[in-house]
Amino acid sequence: MEMSTLELLLEFLKVLPINIIIIILSAALGLLFAILLTFLRIKKIPVISQMADLYVSFARSVPGLILLFIAYFGIPKILSLMGFNSVDVSPMHAAIISMGFYHSGYISEVFRPAYLSVDKSQHEAADSLGYTPTKKFFRIILPQVIPVALPGYGNGLVYLIHDTSLIFAIGVIDIMGVAELFISRSYGTNQVFIYFVIALMFSAMCFTADFLIKKLEKKTSFR
Amino acid sequence: MHISFDKNEVLKGIDLSVKKGEVVSFIGPSGTGKTTLLKCINYLQKPNEGEIQLGDLNLDYKNIKKQDILRLRRKTAMVFQMFNIFKHKTVIQNVMDAQIAVQKKSKDEAYENSYRQLEKVGLIDKIDEYPSSLSGGQLQRVGIARGLALEPELILFDEPTSALDPELVEEVLRVIEEVAKSGMTTLLVTHEMDFARSISDKVVFMENGHIVEVGSPEQIFVGSENVRTRQFLKKFYSNQELQKMH
Repeated sequence: MEMSTLELLLEFLKVLPINIIIIILSAALGLLFAILLTFLRIKKIPVISQMADLYVSFARSVPGLILLFIAYFGIPKILSLMGFNSVDVSPMHAAIISMGFYHSGYISEVFRPAYLSVDKSQHEAADSLGYTPTKKFFRIILPQVIPVALPGYGNGLVYLIHDTSLIFAIGVIDIMGVAELFISRSYGTNQVFIYFVIALMFSAMCFTADFLIKKLEKKTSFR
Repeated sequence: MHISFDKNEVLKGIDLSVKKGEVVSFIGPSGTGKTTLLKCINYLQKPNEGEIQLGDLNLDYKNIKKQDILRLRRKTAMVFQMFNIFKHKTVIQNVMDAQIAVQKKSKDEAYENSYRQLEKVGLIDKIDEYPSSLSGGQLQRVGIARGLALEPELILFDEPTSALDPELVEEVLRVIEEVAKSGMTTLLVTHEMDFARSISDKVVFMENGHIVEVGSPEQIFVGSENVRTRQFLKKFYSNQELQKMH
């Protein structure tokens, strides 16, 4: 069965929201977890900070595809050990969790140096004026951390978007999943074209992310 | 005010009383613990043990509570050697922010107060500039205005002119002089001997973490009977002569 180019593109657009949802949710999960990790690492709490360090090294050193498999096959095992036998872990869930955690390790290593880049003098000034630690963080420190962290965070987002090209490996039918399907159906005759379309879609997603980050950079810079 | 420190890596047995409205200068060789002493007062550095009495506040540094640290810091203001101006805020925002965040003043009230303070230090034409476009002398005057805007009971100057280009020292000293003359209780760590001599009620000569001598400016600068004080001042003034000749 031959498909027209238009039909093919429509099929891709139908599943594109799956990629976008996975990117947005794993970016959100990753951001939250990275903030927690960075906090734990900066606070220098004995044992806990070292564990957070170890986690970050691990998440950054294991390829995304392997984390994906570990999450997909491992989470049901862990849940059943905890007594939840009937919980169903869909490929979508596994993808969001593993990508989110992978991303968190990467961007925590962006946030930590960004936090440390704020000079001690800024802390001392706020302390001497009687700021509470929370007020100091949100009014003085964080506004200086964000512009430093944004470029690196943008890179992290781009890597996350790229890595979602792997999630079809655990059976998520996203744009890569559909592409594989089409290619095998046509016995490989339109491979190049299909991969080219996929490349354009990833490119468009990355451009969008980049554009948003650049806009934020402009908004938060103070120099 | 009364402070005493017993044991500390840098400071060893400091005991000092300062009356309300008094201007006290700390002089002595570098690395003597003058800055450490100042930073121990508002707990930017942690003394091993010691006590402070500041107005109605009576604190033992050994078992100080977080709330006490905040209370202590809110009664004092510090002017730093490196200015420590908030880099992401404009001049007036630098002066306003603590009034809003710490003293819970309204924005309008904080703005008016800050405007007045900046007028006093001669920076009205700079209020909307960012710190990156200001000179060291101007930054330090922002630092002074920021401290004074909180109406502290005690102001701590930590070598306020040491990081300035020579031609900018004067404009900052003039502002400090005004503060000192206004009746604000002032502690000043400085290497500007002539300035210390002219504005202080009391001069403290420190060396190796100890107070060597405390006295009136005349006593310290002219009539000191202490060998170490005399040596230090002699060396200081002969170095100054040498610099002038070059």
